[in-house]
Amino acid sequence: MGSKDSNNASATGDPGQPGLLEDTLTEALEKGIKRRESAVVDDEKTILSREKSAAAREDAADMREDAADLREDAVHLREGAAQLREGEAQEREGAATLREQEIRVAEPQAISDEHIVKLQQANAHLVTASIEAHILTEQVQIAKDNLEHLVHYDTLTDLPNRTLLQDRLGQAIELAHRQGRQLAVMFMDLDRFKHINDSLGHAVGDLLLQSVAQRLVGCVRHSDTISRQGGDEFVVLLPYIEHAEDAALSAQKLLAALELPHCVDEHTIYIGASIGISIYPDDGQDLETLLKCADSAMYHSKANGRNNYKFFEQSMNVRAIERQSIEGGLRRALERQEFVLHYQPKINLQSGAIVGVEALIRWQHPQRGLILPEQFVPIAEDCGLTQPIGRWVLREACKQAQAWLQAGLPPIVVAINASAPEFHTKDYFKNIRATLEEAHLEPRYLEIELTESVLMRDAAATDTVLHALADLGVQLAVDDFGTGYSSLSYLKKFPINTLKIDQSFVNQMIDNPDDAAIVSAVISMAKSLRLRVIAEGVETPEQAAFLRDRQCDEGQGYHFCRPMAAEALAALLQTGLSSTLLH
Amino acid sequence: MQASDVLRHQVVENLMASHPEKGADAAIGLWEQMATQIISLVGEGGFNSLYARSVFLTQPTFPWLTASALSLQADHRFVQLKTSFEGQTPAEVYAANRLLLITFTDILAALIGEQLTTSILRLAWGVDASDKAGEELENE
Repeated sequence: MGSKDSNNASATGDPGQPGLLEDTLTEALEKGIKRRESAVVDDEKTILSREKSAAAREDAADMREDAADLREDAVHLREGAAQLREGEAQEREGAATLREQEIRVAEPQAISDEHIVKLQQANAHLVTASIEAHILTEQVQIAKDNLEHLVHYDTLTDLPNRTLLQDRLGQAIELAHRQGRQLAVMFMDLDRFKHINDSLGHAVGDLLLQSVAQRLVGCVRHSDTISRQGGDEFVVLLPYIEHAEDAALSAQKLLAALELPHCVDEHTIYIGASIGISIYPDDGQDLETLLKCADSAMYHSKANGRNNYKFFEQSMNVRAIERQSIEGGLRRALERQEFVLHYQPKINLQSGAIVGVEALIRWQHPQRGLILPEQFVPIAEDCGLTQPIGRWVLREACKQAQAWLQAGLPPIVVAINASAPEFHTKDYFKNIRATLEEAHLEPRYLEIELTESVLMRDAAATDTVLHALADLGVQLAVDDFGTGYSSLSYLKKFPINTLKIDQSFVNQMIDNPDDAAIVSAVISMAKSLRLRVIAEGVETPEQAAFLRDRQCDEGQGYHFCRPMAAEALAALLQTGLSSTLLH
Repeated sequence: MQASDVLRHQVVENLMASHPEKGADAAIGLWEQMATQIISLVGEGGFNSLYARSVFLTQPTFPWLTASALSLQADHRFVQLKTSFEGQTPAEVYAANRLLLITFTDILAALIGEQLTTSILRLAWGVDASDKAGEELENE
């Protein structure tokens, strides 16, 4: 700035003029002084400003201190207030304690007793309710257990039932499959159980089933399962066998156990069983197939003489299919009129005259030809067809007897057989009477043959029906006499006309003195009781002569005549038997 | 069965065994002591329920034990039980009463807890501290 001014002076003035320079210098000095004075003033202003700021800061600090003092005072005041409140609370507590103490001192016994009584009552209710809840829970559990048991166990024998067997068999197959092992299923059916049930009644039959069940359980391992399928059928599961022969050993053991007599309700009963065995995996891979195969094998065992066992063979399936076919055909046979009656004469052994016939059913099968009753009657019984077939036989026999009478042939008695299910139906008597009326046949020309087992089942009901039939005029005969389980007392109780000596005695009587003695005794007894007596199954002249010598009234069998069609019998009735057959 | 159950059972057995010659009297004594304590807490009705249930559960093992009802007179409360015991041999009485007491205390413990049951039984029977089972019971 100074240098600039100097440059300007030299440019505008003349250096040779001293007054002008002096003026210039003075002016410059004055300006410099003024500038310095101005700077001083500025400095003073700054100092003043700083002083003011310092004063302001001091004021602020003073104010903060004042505020802190005020806050401290406030804290002190609050503390004072809190102490006051605490003091008051302590006073109140003290007062309450005092009041409580006063109350306790005043009424201690009354409150305590009241509370105790209430507590006792409440506790008593709680205890009683809890125990009742326990009892109810227990009862529910027992009911559930019972239900579970009912679902899986047979009520009569307490053996596992069909459901449980299927469950166990399914599991056993799974295990055998995983372990690559064999298992055996045995299907068992009691032999002639139906006969026992019919002759001694269902109550005895049930007791026998229980006895059988106990025996069976005692013969197998804990891991094996004996189940009752229903009726007299049992299934045994042997889940662990090494060889098929193990199952054969088990079957032998079971049969041996059953062989011993069963003492049931004052009866000594002998019973056998037929067993069919199937082996996993050889005979089937699944539950249904194994059971079916064992069932088929059982039927073959039964057909081959009973009281034994048989392993399943593939050829048995063919027979099973055949049986199924017969079953299906039987149902249609009645509608299609495929049954026919053949008649076997009954001969008066003294005169040689035909005095009666036994009507015997045959099935004229459209494909198989003439089927004998042995081949289809058991199946008919299983299917519940006994009653309709029996009624058909009765109707046909009555119609035929009337037809022979109307044809002017010598009058004869026509005999029919009555099975237990048929005889014990409610309307058996009514049906007989109605059928006789329908055929216009006098009751004396009809004879009903009943086995001892039919007679002895429900003896009271049997007595009523037999007397009604006898009163009507129908003849009554005891069939297969001597093979049943009953006592002889029924002979004087029931209105029986005739005894038919079973062919098993007649067959052997020439060679076996025991059979000869039985036949002689039966004839003698029948005579004493004024009963007619007929020998069944007479096949030789010697047998005919033996019977005639012992005054047996009548004979029936191949020696005299085979069963024949109605037309052939009509012809025979006209001509009579050849005299050579009579002697 | 828990350890506490076993100890309680042990106490019952020890008490029963301490006076075997007294038979029915000793057995009834234990019941009367216990009844006093329990009735003070759950009343006559509560005690009767517990007792009847215990007899019911014990009967399958001892069918001759038919005393399921208690007498209404407090001082003859267990007269039927005593009659039942009197027809039996000491061994039978011991076995039946042991099972009956254990069943009773098991039910009680299931209802109110083991600790409280133990405490009540200690008060009732004054279990001897020198008794090992008693000591263990007290340390529970």
